[in-house]
Amino acid sequence: MGAYIGKRVLSVIPIILFSSLLMFVMIRVGPVDPAEAYLAAAHIQPDDEVLAAKRHEFGLDQPLPVQYVQSVAKLLRLDFGQSYISNMPVWEEVAQKLPATIQLASSSIVLALVVSIPLGVLAAIYHNRMVDHVIRVFAYIGACVPVFWIGYLLMFFISVKLEWLPVEGRGSFRHLILPSITLALWLIAIYARLLRTTVLEELKEAYVRYARARGIKERVILYKYVLRIAIAPLITGLGINLGKLLTGAIIVEQVFSWPGFGRYFIEAVINRDIPVIQCYVMLSVCVIVGSNLAADLLQLFLDPRIARKGRVSQG
Amino acid sequence: MSASRAKGKRLLQGLLVLLVISLVAAGCSSNNTEKSASAGGVQAATTITMAWPRDIGPMNPHLYNPSQLLAQSMIYEPLVSYRDGKIVPALAESWTISPDGKTYTFKLRSNVKFSDGSAFNAQIVKKNIDAVLHNKKLHTWLGMIPLIAKTEALDETDFRLTLTESYYPVLHDLAVVRPVRFLGEAGFPEDGDTSKGVKSPIGTGPWVLSEYKKDEWATFTPNPNYWGEKPKVDKIVVKVIPDAETRVLSFEKGDVDLIYGEGLISYDAYKELESTGKYITKLSEPVATRNLVLNTMNPKLADLKVRQALSMGFNKEAMVEGVTLGLEEKADHILPPNLPYANIKVSPVKYDVEQAKALLDEAGWKLPAGSDVREKDGQPLELELMYDKADQTMKAMAETLQAEWAGIGVNLKITGVELTVYIQRRKANEFDMNFYSTFGAPYDPHSFMTAVVQPGYGVSDTLAALPMKAEIDKKIKEGMATTDDKARAELFGSVLTTLQEQSSILPISYIKQLAVYRDDVANFQFPSNRDEYPLRGIEKK
Repeated sequence: MGAYIGKRVLSVIPIILFSSLLMFVMIRVGPVDPAEAYLAAAHIQPDDEVLAAKRHEFGLDQPLPVQYVQSVAKLLRLDFGQSYISNMPVWEEVAQKLPATIQLASSSIVLALVVSIPLGVLAAIYHNRMVDHVIRVFAYIGACVPVFWIGYLLMFFISVKLEWLPVEGRGSFRHLILPSITLALWLIAIYARLLRTTVLEELKEAYVRYARARGIKERVILYKYVLRIAIAPLITGLGINLGKLLTGAIIVEQVFSWPGFGRYFIEAVINRDIPVIQCYVMLSVCVIVGSNLAADLLQLFLDPRIARKGRVSQG
Repeated sequence: MSASRAKGKRLLQGLLVLLVISLVAAGCSSNNTEKSASAGGVQAATTITMAWPRDIGPMNPHLYNPSQLLAQSMIYEPLVSYRDGKIVPALAESWTISPDGKTYTFKLRSNVKFSDGSAFNAQIVKKNIDAVLHNKKLHTWLGMIPLIAKTEALDETDFRLTLTESYYPVLHDLAVVRPVRFLGEAGFPEDGDTSKGVKSPIGTGPWVLSEYKKDEWATFTPNPNYWGEKPKVDKIVVKVIPDAETRVLSFEKGDVDLIYGEGLISYDAYKELESTGKYITKLSEPVATRNLVLNTMNPKLADLKVRQALSMGFNKEAMVEGVTLGLEEKADHILPPNLPYANIKVSPVKYDVEQAKALLDEAGWKLPAGSDVREKDGQPLELELMYDKADQTMKAMAETLQAEWAGIGVNLKITGVELTVYIQRRKANEFDMNFYSTFGAPYDPHSFMTAVVQPGYGVSDTLAALPMKAEIDKKIKEGMATTDDKARAELFGSVLTTLQEQSSILPISYIKQLAVYRDDVANFQFPSNRDEYPLRGIEKK
């Protein structure tokens, strides 16, 4: 088991290194020269002399492998350079913006779990009946309707028409509600469907039949046995979905004027602020890889047979 | 079994704890931010709340992005202002220009104080302009900057600027929002180099920043030391709302009183708000012209007849009306005629498909039997129009032109590119056609004239094949240097007339600024300077 964990943890390193290489190459082959992007952002007329000086300063005149090693060494020190726009260290700015994003993401996850679990269970219990159909249609819509559109709809009806909640901004608990619902809706849709399927599968298992035969009440079977097992994939699934949650947060933060990391990233893309873009991409890679790793390890903790069988595929 | 049951229980317990923590955390933050929301957003009797897409930035008067023009123009003031086509006094009461046009002596107002109470005088004017000159290369786009030879504080209220050569738009360049505006002594960093930042935003302007939450909102209140007419409202709140649709919804909810600017909301949204009849909607006078530039360095476009055929081969009026919902106006002038020297007589180009076809025939571009595209010497009449793919107006116009010109046998390829690529290709003159918007007041007409003379701005190079290009350049240079206003009017008028006749720059539409505000906002007026904000005299009923 120890060896398996070690292998899993070590396997993360090449993935992150490969991602950093990919990003490095994409920025170098892209149509935007970082030195030129910097000068454009600073409104400096990019004549050849100024460009050459900037290229030297950024180390862009070095051979590519040297540049790559230098950039990895910097990343390891959490040195993401300075923003072209604000001239502030990127990491400092990111650290200021992360709490808002973490607050939004965690409240969305909690909301998603709190709502999707009863929905999934209800759908399974009322399998192929009206309640199930309604929940399935809801899940279907929730999974395919664009996040920003849901955001506008909520704003329009809840904030503008009914005047229950603020349209945008961050601050009070009331400000948190609509963005969290918007971001959670898609997770709720996925989880409700996932839970419905696993509960239905579990209900067919031998231990359920055995429990029924022993005369245990259906409700007790459901809550004490089935649900406990059926919830595990949700937790591990969360690891896999965290990456998508991050991209969803970019849109939600933009739509709801939420001052987080995602909005910072959008502005960086508009301004070609390459150090910020690099930081966002690398942190996203780390979050996705890290959460997948955590999910695997959690699964291992829930079902130690995996260490013997190797990694099982997850739905 | 019991071990895994315990595990499951722990899992559920963990979830519950997480839920409680997040609710408590959200509840806690609600307390302190209710307060901040009331500081930032709630409407007092005389508060005007505006929506802005970005944080106001470090408010450095001598730098650009991320400092926003909005905040810079509220806090800092220029020596002179641009109003209704004329230069009027601001921090300078009066000025004299030497006969050779090289020396400008300004008499400063003597009753001006910075918001911290310190005096505004010739020494601080010198210090600010010297700080700007310290980073000359940052500001060379402003024609006056590279020409400054000397700055002198003659005494408390007299300041002199000496140039290496005569350059008429000095006063216009001084009227722009950045970089020549004035920071108080206490705002300067230790080494005086403002290109690295300012200590605090101390200006002489009518407003001071009183509360600020980065990326969320900023509150401005009247400057108690202001020398001029005091603001009529107690507070201006600038809310940072990056998304255009959200700005509209926030306005409809009543959280925002005023939306003003270019591209802040879509044309659809403007029309929608207008149609409710509940709000006041206004369009400004033309602030700039959206032109289509035809590159004469392409041999096909070097022929005047081809350019004229293209010019009359599409229904400009219908295109502008359709694409901009009538919020831009069909343009016949390369520069809006409300700008200095730009009110020349032009004969509008009429939409005439038959005439366009005849011109192409005359130019040797014949339509082969069974083909839709004209040919000459075995070459098809194919051209490429490059546009910024993020700009929906440009995209829709490009698509319209493609369809319209197909009707006269021209195969137009339209290519949407990233903004940086757009700028690079324009700089390198690698395009057949693209869109070019003029700068507006107080930059034009001299900035446009500079673009016609100097390569790299996407205009000069495209005109290179015009037989009279050298003559145009000569006239512009003379016009820029002369101190005789009448002579300049003639020279610039002649340049603009020639450019109109040559059809290498085709005026499409006049860009206007949009304003939408609630009916309790009064005294709203569009500023003459494109980069200023209409907060002077604004009131709330």
